[in-house]
Amino acid sequence: MLWYFNEMLKFFFLNNIYIIIEKIINFINSIFFIILAVGLTFALLLSPPDYLQGDTVRIMYVHVPSAWLAIGCYAFIAMLSIFNFIFNIKNFFLINKSLAPIGLLLTCLAIITGSLWGQPTWGTWWVWDARLTSMFFLMLFYIIYILSFKIIKKESLATKVSSYIAIIGSINLPIIKYSVEWWSTLHQPASIKISGSSTIHSSMLTPLMLMLLVLLLYCALIFLMKYKTEIIRIKRKNINRL
Amino acid sequence: MITQLITMNGHGIYVWASFAVVLVSCSIFYFKTKKTLKKYEKEYLIELKKLAEVDRQILLKKSKIANNIYASSNKAN
Repeated sequence: MLWYFNEMLKFFFLNNIYIIIEKIINFINSIFFIILAVGLTFALLLSPPDYLQGDTVRIMYVHVPSAWLAIGCYAFIAMLSIFNFIFNIKNFFLINKSLAPIGLLLTCLAIITGSLWGQPTWGTWWVWDARLTSMFFLMLFYIIYILSFKIIKKESLATKVSSYIAIIGSINLPIIKYSVEWWSTLHQPASIKISGSSTIHSSMLTPLMLMLLVLLLYCALIFLMKYKTEIIRIKRKNINRL
Repeated sequence: MITQLITMNGHGIYVWASFAVVLVSCSIFYFKTKKTLKKYEKEYLIELKKLAEVDRQILLKKSKIANNIYASSNKAN
C-alpha cells in the first residue's frame, strides 16, 4: 500500500506536475503585477495613518505578511519532515529544499522591516525581547537547515539531518506566537486573531490582506521555480538511464 | 500632496526604506532563481542533445519534462 502510494506520487509529481507548474507560473506572472499595484496603492495611499503611530503603521503591510509567511513556511517544512520520516517520500525533501530559501528571505525581511518600524516607534532598532529573539532564532534555524543540505553531499544523510533540524526548530514556532503573551515585551500583542475578534479596522485590514496575497503569490512563484529546478536536476542525473 | 506622500510627517525614510528593502531583495531573489532555472534547463538540453538520435526520440516521447524543455528551446531559437 505504502509502496503503491509512493510510486503514484513519484509519477504524479515528477512528470505531470512539471507541466502543471509551468501553467501555474504563467498564471501567477499574468496577475502578479496587477495585484502588486493594487496592494501598494492601498498600503501607501489609501489606508489611513494610525492615530498613535502615524504613517509608520504602513510598515505593517510588509512586516506582518513577511513574518506570517516565514513562520508558515517553517511550519510546513517541519510537517513535511515528520511525514518524510514516516513515509520516506523523496518529493517531500525536494519541496522543503525549494521552500527553505524563501522562508529565510521572508524571516530576514520581517526582521529588517521590524527594525525599521522599531526605531521611530520604540526609539531603538533592536532589543533582545522575546518576540525579536525568537524570530532571530527562526532565522538561525533556516540558515542551519539550508546549510545542512548544502554541506552534506550524501542525499539520504542530508534528508535525515535536515529533517531533524526542521523538527527541533519547530519548537520555536509556538514560542514566537505566544512570546508576547508569556513575557513582557516591547512588541505589541497580535491584532488579528483567527478565533475571536480582531482589533484592526477594515481600512487597515484590506491593504494588509492584499499585501499578504502579493507575498503569497511571490512565494508560490519562487517555490515553483525552485521546485522545477530540482526536478530538472534529478532528470538530468537520470538522463542516460533509458 | 506629493511632498506629504514622500515625507510622511517625518517618517517617510522608515516607510520607504521598508518597502524598498522588500521590493529590491524580492526582485534580486526572483532574478537569481530564474537564472538558476535557465542554467539547469540549458545544461539538461546539452545532455539531451548529446544522446543518440534514437535515444533522444524515445526520451522525448516518454518524458513530458524533456519534451517541454526541448520544445521551449526550439521556440526560443
